Amino acid sequence: MRMLPQSLVNKRGASPVRVVLTLAVVALLFFFPRLVESTYALHIMILIFISIIMGSSWNILGGYTGQYSVGHAAYFGVGAYMTMMLLQFKQIPPWYGMWAGMAAALLTALVIGTICFRLRGPYFVLASIAVAEIFRVTTLNLKEITNGAEGILATELPPLRIGGTVITDFLTKVPFYYAGLVCVLLIIAISLGVQHSKLGYYFQAIREDQDAAHSLGINLTVYKNAALAISAVFTSLAGSLYAIYVGFIDPTTVLALDLSVQIVLICIIGGIGTIFGPVIGALVLIPLSEALRSNVIAEGLIKSGLVNAESGVGTFLTDHLSHAHVLIYGILVVIVILYMPDGVLGFFSNLAAKRNRGNA
Amino acid sequence: MAILEIKHVSKFFGGLAANSDVSFALEEGMIMGLIGPNGAGKTTLFNCITGYYPPSRGEILFKGRRMNGLNPDKVCKLGMARTWQKVRPLARMSVVDNVMVGALCRTNSLKTAREMAMEQIRVVRLEHRVNVAAGGLPIGERKKLEVARVLATRPELLLLDEVMGGLNPAESDEIIRLILEIRKSGITQMVIEHDMKAIMRISDRIVVLNSGEKLAEGNPSEIVSNPDVVAAYLGSEH
Repeated sequence: MRMLPQSLVNKRGASPVRVVLTLAVVALLFFFPRLVESTYALHIMILIFISIIMGSSWNILGGYTGQYSVGHAAYFGVGAYMTMMLLQFKQIPPWYGMWAGMAAALLTALVIGTICFRLRGPYFVLASIAVAEIFRVTTLNLKEITNGAEGILATELPPLRIGGTVITDFLTKVPFYYAGLVCVLLIIAISLGVQHSKLGYYFQAIREDQDAAHSLGINLTVYKNAALAISAVFTSLAGSLYAIYVGFIDPTTVLALDLSVQIVLICIIGGIGTIFGPVIGALVLIPLSEALRSNVIAEGLIKSGLVNAESGVGTFLTDHLSHAHVLIYGILVVIVILYMPDGVLGFFSNLAAKRNRGNA
Repeated sequence: MAILEIKHVSKFFGGLAANSDVSFALEEGMIMGLIGPNGAGKTTLFNCITGYYPPSRGEILFKGRRMNGLNPDKVCKLGMARTWQKVRPLARMSVVDNVMVGALCRTNSLKTAREMAMEQIRVVRLEHRVNVAAGGLPIGERKKLEVARVLATRPELLLLDEVMGGLNPAESDEIIRLILEIRKSGITQMVIEHDMKAIMRISDRIVVLNSGEKLAEGNPSEIVSNPDVVAAYLGSEH
């Protein structure tokens, strides 16, 4: 009998150890900016947060409901563009703009869902890619509204005021860090809420067998659209966050197929259909791609004495390794997918399950 | 009173008539056996009744209400549920979660759904498998799970598509016992089955389909002595 990934079977009740551990991690994350001075570390953390938000959002549609959208850049882009256009052209601060982005993403999702959910399996995947491409090309060409290929640069971020007192002026990375952290906690809470509700059961039933789900009284159109709506709204939130954090967007960064694939990869690497899969995925992928892009690995090899800096190999690595970061990244992703088909999280929980059975 | 009336139902796939002009009715509380050789159109008829295909012609009335063109989910909500010839467990969900999905058709509360699910799991005697992933069950238990899941939707009419297919005699006996138990609770059933002995034992009435048409209808003893039925199954004597 093939062992099924334990993580996909709903578990009830959290052990006290887990609760304490989770609270400790959350507390640590809240104090992180006080403990760590490095802006680079904060930068990495913010990128990880944004990845977790978009991965977890995708996971609600792809992981729980089994509808593999490879066009989530569309919703990310809608959020990013809505926020930036309102900020730059209408002087509306981003904390209002992001709501507009979420509303726009919701509307977009309902229109797209109604059309694309007539298709199943690979045809749905293709349709989702096509939709995202339509958004990219449209944004490129609507120069009057979107600035086209030039993109939008946020010249100035107004300080956040509540009742006259300035909360933050966004001069450091810290406010972005906290904004990201709050959104991460929010999306994890929402994922948990979905998983432990009728919605979650219906989403999983649709993933496991559409026809069976249909015959058990599940309205497929309604529930698939609900999954897409939740997913799209929070992907758009990730887009808004990214836009105001980086301060520059253009169609090739926030509406690209690369981004859609990246969103899916976060979940595949971490573990599809689990709450913490996207968290693990983001924790693996972002540092990995950053490490490959910078010269950290080559320097590390030289410092550890494995490779002589003066030797041919040493100079080759320092000169060329970072140029091949996309290649190495791709190979590593392939290895993970081949040897950990349930993602990193699934791999370790299967390992634990095996060990438990061995002891029993 | 008839709970289900099938009036002159035809279903065409291109030029092929999978069902042509089939009519019969089910009385409340009875077990109707639906038999016929392979390709007779039994499952197609089930699909027409439960909303997977719209019938090309004719009418399907459930408790006097016209069902043509309703979606399967709506059909289930109205109180008509079906199982599948090829079982469709929600593989990566546990047994109790599978049955809960059915129960959630009648409630929004997970707690109530879990209680309803446990009740049906006891009816089909799968208590020892509650937290096992459905994909890991052997075929006999998958069939039982399928029945528990549809029962949890609280149907008034249950359509069972070959629930005994692929089972050993002991398992079949258990299913027969289950079907008779379900009848006691007042649920009307229509059963597709190939096992003649079983169908004769449980059915109050039998409809025989052959090449999409209704060949005969009657109680079990009438059916076994009907020369047309014998010819359809065994070939005619010359």
